Amino acid sequence: MIAWALALALSAAAAALLVAWLQQRARNADLERQIDAATEELQRLQQACARLAPAGVVNRLVADGVSELGEMPAQRKVVTALFVDLVGYTAMSERLDPALLARVLNGYFQRMSDAIHEHRGHVSTFLGDGILAYFGALQPNPWQSADAVRAALAMRAALADYNRELEREGLPTLKIGVGVHRGSGLAGLIGSRERMEYGFVGRTVNLAARVQALTRVHGVDILVTDAVRSELDSSFRLDAMPAEWVKGIAEPVVSHAVRERVTLADAARAA
Amino acid sequence: MTSALAHVAWEPCFAEARQDRELEAYARRRMGLPNAAVRYFAAAPWVARAAIDIHPEFGLLMHLEQGTADLIGLVVSQENACRFCFAAVRAVLWFQGMDRARVQRIEQEAARPDLPPLVRLTLDYARSQSRSGPAGARQAWTALRAAGVSAAEAREIAFTVATADLANRLHTALAIPPRMMERAPESLAMRLLRPLLDRMTRSHRWRGSPTTAVAPAPDLPYARLVSAYAGSPIGPALARTIDEMWASPHLSRRAKLLMFGVVSRGLPCDVCELEITRALQLEGLDAPGVARLLTHLDGPELEPTERLLMAYARETLWYQPAALQRHTRALQPHLSTEQLVEAVGVAALANGVCRMAAVVMTEPA
Repeated sequence: MIAWALALALSAAAAALLVAWLQQRARNADLERQIDAATEELQRLQQACARLAPAGVVNRLVADGVSELGEMPAQRKVVTALFVDLVGYTAMSERLDPALLARVLNGYFQRMSDAIHEHRGHVSTFLGDGILAYFGALQPNPWQSADAVRAALAMRAALADYNRELEREGLPTLKIGVGVHRGSGLAGLIGSRERMEYGFVGRTVNLAARVQALTRVHGVDILVTDAVRSELDSSFRLDAMPAEWVKGIAEPVVSHAVRERVTLADAARAA
Repeated sequence: MTSALAHVAWEPCFAEARQDRELEAYARRRMGLPNAAVRYFAAAPWVARAAIDIHPEFGLLMHLEQGTADLIGLVVSQENACRFCFAAVRAVLWFQGMDRARVQRIEQEAARPDLPPLVRLTLDYARSQSRSGPAGARQAWTALRAAGVSAAEAREIAFTVATADLANRLHTALAIPPRMMERAPESLAMRLLRPLLDRMTRSHRWRGSPTTAVAPAPDLPYARLVSAYAGSPIGPALARTIDEMWASPHLSRRAKLLMFGVVSRGLPCDVCELEITRALQLEGLDAPGVARLLTHLDGPELEPTERLLMAYARETLWYQPAALQRHTRALQPHLSTEQLVEAVGVAALANGVCRMAAVVMTEPA
C-alpha cells in the first residue's frame, strides 16, 4: 500500500515536473521569438537611420550606445570638402512641373551620391540643389584629396549619362559646378541636445563653397584649390585659373580646373 | 536565433575549394574539429596555417582569460561584419553552454552593464584597434593600462584583436559561405551533439606556457614586434607566420612589402611604414620613391600586378563585406588562384599586424 502511494506520489511529482518543464520551454521559446523580433526591429531601425546619417556614424552610435553621445568628442582633422551645385537650377525649377522636377532632382542626387560613395566620401548634407560631401572625415584617409577629385570626375561622367537620358525624355539637361578644398577643422557630432548631426566645422567648407561658385566665373565644371592640387600626382591634368577674390577670404584664391585623369595604365594602353 | 549580422550583404563564394588532406588533418589535430574553410586557403598553405597557428585559443594566451578572448572575437567580427567568423564564435560560445539569449544580449551590447569593468575596457579597446586604427586604439590602450591591466596581458589583448582582424578579412574577402555556421545552433543534430562538441573543442584549447625568445630575421619588418612578445608563445607563432608569408613564392617580396606599406600608410602606423620603407630599399627602391608610391599608389617603377595589389590593399583597410568581395573578385582575372589567396592573406595579415604594431611597438618597455 505504502509502495503504491509512493509510486503514485512520485508519478504525480514527475508529471508536475514535466508540465513545469514544458511550460518553461514554451516561455523560453516565446522569449526567443520576442528577442528575434526585437533584433529584426533594431536592424530595420539601423537601416532606416543609415538613410539619415552616414552608415559609419550609425554603426558607431549603435556600438557605443546612444546614451554615450555626449562622450563622443569632436576631433580636429584634415578633411577634403567637396561642394557641388546645379547651374541654372532656379530657372529650371520655375519651368518644370513640381513632380517632374522632384524626379529629375532625385535622379541627379542619386547619381552624384553614388559617385561620392564609390570614392570613399560621405554625403554630409543636401543643401537645396547642392550637395556637401567629405572625404577623410569618418576614417583616416591619406588619399582623400585624390579620392575627392576622382569622385568629381565620376560625377561629371555620371551627369553626362544622365543628361542623355533626360534628353531622350525631352527634359532639360543639367550642368554642375564642383569645388574641392582640403584643410583642417572640427569633425564630429555637433548640435543641440534635441538634434545632432555628424558635421565638419571650419573655413574649409566655406572655401569649397566659394570655389564652387568660381566655376561660373571661369566657365568650367570642376575647380580645386592649391591645397588639393599639391596632393595630386601628374595623372590629373589641371589648368591653372587666374586668382580671384572671394567673399570672406583675405587673399585672392588660386584655383585649378580639372580636365581629366590619365593613369600610367591608360597611357600604356594608348601607346 | 537571428544573427545580428544576418542582414549584411554577402556575395556568393567565388573561391576555389581545394582538397588538401594533410592541411585538413593538421587543422583537425589542432582544433579538435574538421574545418572546411581550410580548403579555400589551400592554394597558399601559409594562409591556411596562419588561420590556425596564430589562433589565440591554441596555447598562445598566458594572461588573458579565454572567455574574454572569445568575446573579443565576437565584437571584432561584429565590427568587421564578418558573418562567417561571427557565426563561428557564436557557435563556440553556444557549444560551451552559453544560452542563446545571453549570446544575443552580448551582440546587442545589452549585456554591457553586467560585464566586469575590465572586460568592458578590453572590449572597448578591441573595437578601437579594429575600427579606428591606431589613433583610437592608443587612447583605449592607455585606459586599459591605467585600469591595472599588465603590459603582458595588454599585448595579448592586442594580439587577439589582430588575429580576429586577420580571420575576418580572410573569410570575408573570399566570401566563404557562412550559412552552415549560422544555422549550427538551430540544427537538431548540433543540439544533440552539443555536449560532445563542447568536450572536443575544450580538449583542444589550452593555456600557453613561457617559451624561449625567437630571433626573427632582422632585415625584415616586424622583428621588433616579435621581440615585444619575448617569453610568450605568441612570439614564435607570430614569427613563423610572418616568415612563411615572406618566403611564399606566389607573389614577389616587393609586392608584399608594398601591400604592407599601403596598410601602414592608410591606418596610419608610422613605425610600420618606417620598417617597410627600409625593407623596400633593400629591394632596390629609394626612400623618396617609396614615399611617392605610397602617397599616390602609383608610379612608373611598378609592375602591373604591384599596381593592382596596392590598390587592393587599400580596399581592405575599412570596408563593407560585399564591396571587399567585389574588389577581390575583380582581381581574379589578373592573378592565379595561388596569387589571389596569397594576396588576400598578405592584406589580412598586414591589417592585423599593423594595427597591433602601431600600439605594441610604441609602448615603452
